[in-house]
Amino acid sequence: MLIPHPLLGPRNAQEFTYLGDAQLLRRPDPQAPDAEAAFCDYVFQRSNPAGVHQELWFHEQGDRSWLVVTRNTVTHEILGAELACDVAKREGAQ
Amino acid sequence: MTDLSPITALGDAAPRQTSFGALTIQENAGLGLASLYLRKGQTAPAPFGMRLPEVSGAVQAGDYGAFWTGPGQWMIELPNRAEADVAALVLAEATEASVSEQTHGFVAFEITSKAGADPLEALLSKLIDIDTAALGPGRVVRTGLEHMTVFVIRRAEDRLAVLGMRSFAGALWHALETTCQRLESKT
Repeated sequence: MLIPHPLLGPRNAQEFTYLGDAQLLRRPDPQAPDAEAAFCDYVFQRSNPAGVHQELWFHEQGDRSWLVVTRNTVTHEILGAELACDVAKREGAQ
Repeated sequence: MTDLSPITALGDAAPRQTSFGALTIQENAGLGLASLYLRKGQTAPAPFGMRLPEVSGAVQAGDYGAFWTGPGQWMIELPNRAEADVAALVLAEATEASVSEQTHGFVAFEITSKAGADPLEALLSKLIDIDTAALGPGRVVRTGLEHMTVFVIRRAEDRLAVLGMRSFAGALWHALETTCQRLESKT
């Protein structure tokens, strides 16, 4: 399996380690009134769909960047990869 | 006074060297290294007058070198200065950045070819899963080599360096030596 690294081009998936659901980037606001329930979901609930999924991958044997990889968990087709810092910045700006 | 004898990463008294056909592997025990990381929002400094390279780039300027290791991150090379306080020398050139000593965390093996680029590229295609076309002179990759993390720096058409963790210097030497030996026996 090849992961299209946004800076380095296609790289063998063996160079990466997998963390899971990219929802972890979306940390809830600890000051919000429903923070306890929101954090309970954030810490314990993970999506694990059969189909297109956004996941966090770490390029451990590479430039040590975190990526958000869009992958079809049924076919293992990789549909895209972005630097997680770019995704977080974009979402933070919204 | 205690009489201590310095040894290389491979445990020898002198840097190891071996040749197979056109290829020579030489341990580079004198290479001083320090990592240089930019902090948030900083612009890249120019340590020792070098312009720090872009993604996957490696530069050599006189007695100094630098290669890209990640976004806003480089390794600075000071050949033959392993005994010096390399981090202090680099920090004096880049006072705002985060600089850490790396010299004794790594082992460097320089591989040279007497027959141009072909034997080196044959070796690389056996060792790492990287398109050799993307690893021309002045390029660097960090990748896995027999499950070990290494930097491979293409210093010139006929020269490259493999930098690995010092703790597995022996395993890395074995991997390089065995592969060179097999390539030689095939030709």
